[in-house]
This record gives sequence, C-alpha cells and structure tokens, in this order.
Amino acid sequence: MSANPIGELVAGELDAPFWDAWKADETFLLHRCNTCGRHDWPASCCTQHGRGPMQWVAGSGRGIIDTYTVFYRAYVKEMESEVPYTVAVVRLDEGPYFHTRLVGIPPGEVTSGMRVRLRKGHGDPFPLFVPE
Amino acid sequence: MQRGSIAIVGMGVTKQGRALGVTEVELRRQALELALADAGIARDAIDGYIHASHEREDLRYLGLSPNFSWPVQTGGATAPCTLIMAAGAILSGQADMVACAYGMAPSSGGMPGFGGKTSFGSLAYGYPAQVGMIGAASAHALHARWHMDHFGTTSAHMGAVAVQLRNHALHRPDSMTFGKPITLADHQASQMVVDPFRMLDCCRDTDGGAMFIMTSAERAKKMARTRPVFLLGAGMGHNIGNWHKRDLFRFHDAIAPAAARAFAQAGVGLSDIDTAQFYDPFTISIIMQLEHYGFCKPGQGGPFVADGGIGLDGSIPSNTGGGQISGFYAAGFTPLIEAMKQLRGEAGATQIKNARLALTSGHGLNGGVQNTWSHGTLILGAEA
Repeated sequence: MSANPIGELVAGELDAPFWDAWKADETFLLHRCNTCGRHDWPASCCTQHGRGPMQWVAGSGRGIIDTYTVFYRAYVKEMESEVPYTVAVVRLDEGPYFHTRLVGIPPGEVTSGMRVRLRKGHGDPFPLFVPE
Repeated sequence: MQRGSIAIVGMGVTKQGRALGVTEVELRRQALELALADAGIARDAIDGYIHASHEREDLRYLGLSPNFSWPVQTGGATAPCTLIMAAGAILSGQADMVACAYGMAPSSGGMPGFGGKTSFGSLAYGYPAQVGMIGAASAHALHARWHMDHFGTTSAHMGAVAVQLRNHALHRPDSMTFGKPITLADHQASQMVVDPFRMLDCCRDTDGGAMFIMTSAERAKKMARTRPVFLLGAGMGHNIGNWHKRDLFRFHDAIAPAAARAFAQAGVGLSDIDTAQFYDPFTISIIMQLEHYGFCKPGQGGPFVADGGIGLDGSIPSNTGGGQISGFYAAGFTPLIEAMKQLRGEAGATQIKNARLALTSGHGLNGGVQNTWSHGTLILGAEA
C-alpha cells in the first residue's frame, strides 16, 4: 500500500520540529512537559504547567489501537486507489492519541486493543502504523 | 440565566431540500420574512443579529439595521450557541429583539453564494485528513466502533435507530423522506460507507434556511400576535477536557456539563422532559446521547431504541420529525425547529400530546484533530 499525501503538510511554527525530524530521518517526536513528564501530540500546552516546560523528545512509536474505522468510499480522488483503508486512533505508550492509517493488515483483521508500531523505511510523508 | 426570562417569539423555516439552487443569503432572507410574520413584528424591530456563518453582506441584503451583527461558528453546536448569545445580549441590555440566522446550501455547492465545493482544504479537519480521514462520518465512526467494541452495540441496533427515525419522517410532509418507509433489512443491505456506518446510518446534506427571533419573556407576553416558546435552560460543554484525560471516544461530546447547567437553570429533571430532539447526523449519535443524558444506562442505547424507547409511545419520544437522517439537515437548527413545532402543537402526525418541555442538542466543530468537540443543550418550554 502506497502512502500518497493528499494535501501539502503545512508545518507551521508549532509542529515544525515534529515534521522536520520525521522528514530528516523518520524520528518520531512527542511534545513533553519537563515538569510532570506528560507527553502530548500535536504541539500542546501542559494543562498543569503551561507552555514553558514543553519540549520535543523522541517517542517510542508504539501503542495500541483505541478505535478505528474503515473507509469503503474515497472522499477525494487521491484516496481512490487505497479503498478500503483503515484509519486508526493509536493510543501511544506514552499516552497521547495519534490518528493515522494502519497498513500491512487487511481491514477485516483489525481489532481494537491490538498492538501496533510506527512504520519506517517506506518514505511515508505522514507517519503510518503497522501491527507490532 | 434565570428560568423563564427569555422567549422565542418567531420562527421562520424555508423549504428544506436537495439542490434548491437558492443562495445561502437568500435562504436567510426568506427565513427572516417568515420569522417576522410569525412574530408579528416589522423589520426595524430587529436590533441584534447573530448568524451561523462568516459572510459579510447579510445586513445590507436583509435590510436590517441592528446594533450588532455577530458571526458565530462552532459546528453543529452553533444553533444552541446563537440562542445563548441572543439571551446574553438581551439580558445584558444590548438588544431587545435578536434574530438568530441560518442558511446553507451545501447540496447546491460549487457556485458563488451556494456553499463551497467539497475539497481537502475546505474540510479543515487537520492532520488526520493527511491519511485519508475525511468527512464527518469518520469522526462519528470512531465513536461508534468504540461503542460496539466496549458495549456490544451492533449494526442492527444502529439500524433500529434508522428505521425509527424513518417511521417518524414518513408521516411528515416536511421531511425529505415523507411516504418512504425502510426496514431493518433495507438498512443491513445498504452500502457500507465508513465502517461501521452504512448509507442508511448517515444524513444527507440539504439546503435550507431558518431564523429564530428572541426577546425577553416580559416583552413576549405583551406581543399579542406571538406564540412564544421559552428558553428555560442552556448549557455548553467541550470534549477537549476528555482529550486531555485521554478518554475521548467514550463520550459523544462533553454532554455532562452542558446538561447539568441546562437542567439546573430550568429547574426540571430528566423525567419532566416530554420529548428530546437530538443532533443526529449519524445513528450512533442518538444511541450515545440517550445514554449520556441518562435516558437509559451506559451501553444500553441500542437495545433501548430497538425496544421502541424513542418512538411516539416510548419513554422519551425523540427526533419526531425524522431528525437529520430522515428529516432534513439544517445543522443544529433541525432539532430546534422540531422542538418548536412540538411545543406549539404543529408536529402533525407525530405530535406528542401535551408536549410542554423539550430537550434539544447540538454538537460539532473541529479542534485541529478531527473529533466531535462542542456540545450545546437547550431546554425549551411551552410556559415560562
């Protein structure tokens, strides 16, 4: 399954470090509060300690599927060749949600709670996940 | 807000339908004329204008000269939000007579003034769109899948919602599906679109306008020609709190704070409500809202509907005009319009006897990562 980007990724100031790191060598960053150690994604502000202690750190790229859906229809022409495809919400081991596409498994075999990991080495413009 | 201080004295609802070919601002103008006539007031009585859009030329086109014109957009929660803003404007002495406007033409898209064409850019759903998570169905599908996997809700339960809504709508000439029944088998045979939603789990975009005219209850009582409905309680909640707690998909929205505030203001309890009019773009929305408002136990929304719980003879007759799925899609105004019709005794074949108190909801908006974020609860009453 290819990974066609369907729109220009606009990095913007807040998430630029994340996209720069992913583009450079597929490093997967999370935004972490250095005071309480809570991780977030995308760029956030700690609800307890504010914006000051937030820092980008390497994430494990592992987690479980919290919930998912399977697209049987393409809403944009760029996705026509991918149908049916699975969009999953991964609960990363560090805590944050990460909405992504689950690849390397037929949609019918996907289950909530299954362990997944980040896919590397395929030149994915957006980080995609595969079963662990 | 003190119970019984604010009234809705005029409602205007234009024709609602597919590809009407009428511009959005013209839909609002038509709705305004109907609402003014309904309220028995002249144009120049409107001294506040709140519109569920970001267009700039409404006042000139509508011939209004209010003290303020406020655009507001919080997705499907915009409708309750406009009424709350109107109440705030009246109670703070900014206006006496506020018009809350809606007019959209998504099914006539592609021409200037007819709504935008569907495009990646216009969806504004943030990063998940990059992997092909596009459209409102998928945001709700994530909640539906979570519900199925945690509570055992089935596609047939969602089908029961679709059939019940259609059973209401097919008796209502003001619905898109008047005279067109469906069965559970039809639902199960309908095309899978975005799992677990089949075609018959989803609403369709329709064009239409709606206008609500709000004033103080005190003034409403002096307006001989009106049939006022009273805003008894209102509340809003935002799901970002559950996002921060990492417990998002259990909640259709943050209904609890919205409902608590609305019921406290109205001074009534759940058992006092005669009819509920929920925001229902997809079947799961009815199931989850029934649970989170407390009309049934957590996880039991599907069986509750399958047992007739939201039918006209059920314990909480809901979405009696067919809702958005079988009625028409006027965003958050769909449930408000039906609540008004019920409380005024204008709901025709699906009128609930002695409907005095109605619960309505709205939900929507996107927070950069697609989900259902904002929720609004309004409790409307036939008496102040």
